[in-house]
Amino acid sequence: MNATGENIAVFSGVTKIYRRRGFVSTLETTALNGLSFELRAGEITGLLGLNGAGKTTIMKLLTGLLFPTAGSVSVFGLPPADIASKKRIGFLPELPYFYPYSTAASALLYYAGLSGLERPAAEKRLEAVIEKVGLKKHAGKKVSEFSKGMMQRLGIAQAVIHDPELLILDEPVSGLDPLAIHEIRTLISGLNAQRHTVFLSSHSISELEKITDRVLIMVEGRLAKTVSRQDWERARGGLEEIFVQTVKSDGS
Amino acid sequence: MKKYLYPVLTALGACALLFAGPWAFKSYSAPFPPANLIKEVRAGAAEDALALTLGLRRLAADVWFVRLMQYYGTSELEMEFDSAEGARGHKAGPHYHGGVRCEGVHFGEGRYPEFLGYARHILALDPYFLNAGLYAAASLAFNLSRPEEAVSLVNWALIYAPKEWKYVRLLAAIGYSKAKNPAKVAQLIAPLLEEPDCPVMIRQLAAFLNKKAGNHAAAYAIYRSILGSTRDRLYIENAKKEMAKMEQKSKVESK
Amino acid sequence: MNFFLIAGIIASQTLGENYKNRFFAIFIVFAAVLIYASLLVGVMAVDEEARVLVDSGLALMELIALAYALMAAAGTITREIETKTIYLVFSRPVPKPAYLLGKTAGLYLSCALMLAVMSLIHLSLMALRGFALPVFYFKAVVFIWFKLLIITSTAVFISLFSTSVISTVTITAILWTLGHFTQEAKFLIEKSSGAASWALKATAYFIPNFGLFNARDLGARAAGGPGPVFLFIYIFLWFIVPYLFSLLLFRKKEF
Repeated sequence: MNATGENIAVFSGVTKIYRRRGFVSTLETTALNGLSFELRAGEITGLLGLNGAGKTTIMKLLTGLLFPTAGSVSVFGLPPADIASKKRIGFLPELPYFYPYSTAASALLYYAGLSGLERPAAEKRLEAVIEKVGLKKHAGKKVSEFSKGMMQRLGIAQAVIHDPELLILDEPVSGLDPLAIHEIRTLISGLNAQRHTVFLSSHSISELEKITDRVLIMVEGRLAKTVSRQDWERARGGLEEIFVQTVKSDGS
Repeated sequence: MKKYLYPVLTALGACALLFAGPWAFKSYSAPFPPANLIKEVRAGAAEDALALTLGLRRLAADVWFVRLMQYYGTSELEMEFDSAEGARGHKAGPHYHGGVRCEGVHFGEGRYPEFLGYARHILALDPYFLNAGLYAAASLAFNLSRPEEAVSLVNWALIYAPKEWKYVRLLAAIGYSKAKNPAKVAQLIAPLLEEPDCPVMIRQLAAFLNKKAGNHAAAYAIYRSILGSTRDRLYIENAKKEMAKMEQKSKVESK
Repeated sequence: MNFFLIAGIIASQTLGENYKNRFFAIFIVFAAVLIYASLLVGVMAVDEEARVLVDSGLALMELIALAYALMAAAGTITREIETKTIYLVFSRPVPKPAYLLGKTAGLYLSCALMLAVMSLIHLSLMALRGFALPVFYFKAVVFIWFKLLIITSTAVFISLFSTSVISTVTITAILWTLGHFTQEAKFLIEKSSGAASWALKATAYFIPNFGLFNARDLGARAAGGPGPVFLFIYIFLWFIVPYLFSLLLFRKKEF
């Protein structure tokens, strides 16, 4: 853990309601309800919850892809939609999708350019990053020929290519084989060691246990519990037991 | 302030377009005849409407010109045979030309009652299709012996191309043709022959008129120019025939 | 980071994805087949083969480029939202105006590329037949591109609120045909009165006036109406106004 204590992202009483307009009425779904938490600089924070708990919504609110219905979100003291805050974050969505006719290298250069890197700097970063994610020999291949695991690696590469201070990773090890999972875990730890803040969601409790400093447990759009590493190391069943108990007690 | 920037810019742009649209429309002068002047020929209304909706008047005029060529290129006896025998359930027999489309003075003769309709249709779609207008008017006047129809066609064409000197020349030539003055006709249409895209039918006429007036050298030169300026097989064959005749005649005379 | 630099990166990427797409190649092959098939029609036009080849080639180029432009424009942003590729763009410091500008510019360039390739195919056919190009050819191609710019901007705007790609293509195709009805609209407005006249005027004033850009149909003849300065302003307005309206819809969009 490399936490410095400073809050780099803050959720204050955030509510997010999805509205779908029908012919007669509007269907409303509350994804988040009065959510408040902070992300501290230098920490690896995990997000754990059942399907539909609101994990992806939180990720998208942090990246400015969604706007809160109520409450506020700030990233580096700015609204997430602000260009200045976006320069400092890297985002990996769940199941990343790339332009099919691009090669891995050209895709990364494209995203590096959009993140503000000039061409020479982008090319230099490309070499380092593509090696780190294990895609060096596939750099010239078209993305449409990539396997799911290769797409995931490429997704991580685009999230880190511009060396962001805050990494937001939605299911980063989804679809990866055990060796790849180990490599990605090492990569994330290495980034944290360089004082990058990481916020990741996962369905894999064991992965979160191995890598995170604390975990936020979401149940039906609310933050049910915040668990620190000491808490689950002390608990008999570890993080899994805490999670199951939290879901059962909160859900009932 | 920034919140209102885009809505204000959008409103300004929309106002500019609201002004530009009507101004463009009002200052637009229609270059083509209105749709009501495109008279239907052979159930082509739907096709013409499609051409107008897609802004394809020139192409539509080309297609109708091809149809005119096919219409005029088909012997009328073939057409009568095909429609008569077809109605009796017989298969079309071998084609023959029963005195129609013969050589020399009878070249291109026939009734072809829809010829003017086709020609007007072409020019109603594209009044700037000069060669089609010249070809059709010359065919009407000098081959089909319908100078009144030819004059009406040229006068109609002149509404949209008032400065087109070739139409004016042809009109004058038709006038002299009616007055049975072939030498004057040949003289009037001579400048048209200098244009590389002069319709072959006018060259054909000029050659014939010069031959009739006794200017064999001029006639021969025009027939030779036909060989190099057209791909129409019938005109080429006719020109070769006439040249051979003139060569034979000059050999006989020199003996 | 520079706004236009980002837009340029997105435009370049859009162009690259479009021309590497197999549909681009399919459209080109389809165009090549049809353009060369127009030889058959040209041959039937005998001495007007050159004109028929030019007209049919330009018409095919316009219609095929239109079909491509509509499909590409209708789907470009919608597809990125559906596949979530857009997440990787807007999680970055990319202003939404720059994204829209880049996407639109990329589509413009894609249309230009498609027209350029089809022109080369068409020119090869003309060279094969030994025909010279008419003087208005390049103007006609450029004006086709101007029409495509206008319809592409409109399609992008409509795609942002339309329910499907098919409905976007349908609406924009209708606008395309209405835009070519300028001359006929003038004629109908003169003949009508009351509510019908007002409805026709509203349609004629505020639909893009493609009659102004129909250089293909006018040939070497100059268009009657507004001069080149106004035309450029008109094209710019038909780019900027749909762009600004698109921005109004897009800036508050969630993904």
